[in-house]
Amino acid sequence: MAIVYEFVWQVLHVLLHIHRTLITWFRIRLRNWNGRLWSRALTALIVPMALSFPNQKNIVPAPGKRVGRRYRWGADGKSLEKLPDHIGLLIAEEEPRYTDIANLVVWCMAVGISYVSVYDNYGVFRRNNSRLMDEILKQQQELLDLEGSKQLCVEFLNNGTDKQDQQVLSCQSVLKVLSPDDGKLRIVQAAQQLCRAVEQREKTSEDINVTVLDSLLRESKSTPDPDLVLKFGPVESTLGFLPWHIRLTEFISLPSHVGVSYEDLFSALQRYASCEQRLGK
Amino acid sequence: MLSYRSVMLLLTVQARFSSGTRKDQPPAPRILTPIYLNKVPVNPHAEKSVQTVPGGSGRSFDYVTPSNKEGDVILNCELEGVSEFFNMSWIREGELNLIEKLSANILKAGPMPKHVAFIMDGNRRYARKRHVERQEGHTQGFDKLAETLRWCLNLSIHEVTVYAFSIENFKRSKDEVDGLMELAKQKFIRLLQEQENLEKHGVCIRVLGDLTLLPLDLQQHIARAVVATRTHNKCFLNVCFAYTSRHEIANAVREMAWGVEQGLIKSSDVSEALLGHCLYSSNSPNPDLLIRTSGEVRLSDFLLWQTSHSCLVFQSVLWPEYSFWNLCDAILQYQLNHRPLQKARDQHREGQALQQHEADRACVADLLQHHGNGKPLDAQRRQEALLNYTASREERVQDFLGALQHKRDSFLTDLTSQAALA
Repeated sequence: MAIVYEFVWQVLHVLLHIHRTLITWFRIRLRNWNGRLWSRALTALIVPMALSFPNQKNIVPAPGKRVGRRYRWGADGKSLEKLPDHIGLLIAEEEPRYTDIANLVVWCMAVGISYVSVYDNYGVFRRNNSRLMDEILKQQQELLDLEGSKQLCVEFLNNGTDKQDQQVLSCQSVLKVLSPDDGKLRIVQAAQQLCRAVEQREKTSEDINVTVLDSLLRESKSTPDPDLVLKFGPVESTLGFLPWHIRLTEFISLPSHVGVSYEDLFSALQRYASCEQRLGK
Repeated sequence: MLSYRSVMLLLTVQARFSSGTRKDQPPAPRILTPIYLNKVPVNPHAEKSVQTVPGGSGRSFDYVTPSNKEGDVILNCELEGVSEFFNMSWIREGELNLIEKLSANILKAGPMPKHVAFIMDGNRRYARKRHVERQEGHTQGFDKLAETLRWCLNLSIHEVTVYAFSIENFKRSKDEVDGLMELAKQKFIRLLQEQENLEKHGVCIRVLGDLTLLPLDLQQHIARAVVATRTHNKCFLNVCFAYTSRHEIANAVREMAWGVEQGLIKSSDVSEALLGHCLYSSNSPNPDLLIRTSGEVRLSDFLLWQTSHSCLVFQSVLWPEYSFWNLCDAILQYQLNHRPLQKARDQHREGQALQQHEADRACVADLLQHHGNGKPLDAQRRQEALLNYTASREERVQDFLGALQHKRDSFLTDLTSQAALA
């Protein structure tokens, strides 16, 4: 009898995997089909000269169009009831695509989100931080027509100093590149710091409470906790993302960051705008 | 199933009704609360005949008959909550119907979670939807908890953690908070009356949270329930009461600082593993699966440390409407995520071990520098020193954890002796 159950279970899981694969496949096909249609329409109607170019895949719209998009995205952000102050992009997939992530970061900035964090389970982004930054600058150029890093500051999530605070204030958006070390390990380091203070009789154990620990874990006073985390990938877990900071964070799952579009991001933001936080009451 | 749903909100069961093989009759209280029939308050002396309705779980219920009067022996299921589950569902075999049993067996062919955590959200929305009092929503929610525990045990899930009351919930209106405290007190009192059943089924109740924030009488009832079931080890129910994860983590850090103050450990002994052992949930493994109902997609300060690599399932059903199939769906999600999560967990554990090793090495190097005579030690001596240091650290940590457990046990025992004296 156990063999029968096992067989049925295997069949069930095979069906579920096929179902998932089919959905992903259809989504990508639909997007490509739509994308090609849109770029063709654009080419035909708005940029007549582009007709002479045989390769229609990577259409670079005219500068005017880019600025138009920037304002549209900004207006989109303002149209939402509420916008997260701090958004986290949790990439729970094996192979990160830097271009897609750069797109996401640039869109988030354009929509008006002040703090953007990028996280993956293996610490890949941390290690390849410069590559990510290059991609973001490139995409900023392409999508928004912005020179240099005027609009964007990158900050490693480590112990903030006053100097860094000043730097942060002058930027429109702040990007944080996070890894699992910023989660539990940071909490343990803060705990060690407090215990050392107790060892040296600078504090007592009764002095330790949520507020004290929170101020140690808040790397800069102005950085808010993530309001929204967009999770990309099939794994349903936070995978160690900032355990202390996510107590009230909304989690919205998107199937994949590969080929993600602005519409995907915006619909997630719309969903966030409609949620109600009662805060225990 | 449908007729079970439409049954009155406060279910009543005739004490004399024997649902098959009910060996242990719990003591029968009197009619204390108003009786509802199809959500309408009923005068027990009204013209209504006895109806036996097959319940969804094979239980039958007799409605109150016109011949009932005040003082008749009627068991009020609202008080029976958990114990009813132990009385009726445990003792009877075959509580799941055939299709449910079949599905359970199919699911069990794959990896099953050993510890499931529930955020039972949606009681108030359910009450609004059904146009009843908020308190009824909470009561229904508690009944649903009892049912869900039974399903978990049928699925061989032996540890369940539930989020009953957050420290943030103290912000609610005084009436609602008092109502919830009263409900909790009733449940714990009833639980204590069912001690024999709990022992028979080996149920260990643990309450996680800052109990000092609760009214003293509730603290005492909780302490009695926890102490009475402390030695049971077949299945575990962890109730988070006056709990938030941040308070839990801050408390764990405070306990470690206390250990340092007492000279039991050094600040360099503080590690991720030690912090985990200082949490309220130190006696449980991390949850494999976290389920939140009512469609909200946040963790609301619940087990943030423990669920960093757990499968999170957000379901839109309201908690009092939770069904066996919702649970199966969540377990299916767990099974689909099992392998990648296992991989992530193993990787994290490896990283942790490496960090500990590095920390130990750094400590040893520091010690040798301070206490050495300036001559560099050879590799073998260094290795020996490292092993010695690790062993002594582990011994220190074990002693500290023993002292911590003793402190917690004494707190509860003191409460129970206070209650006995009162």
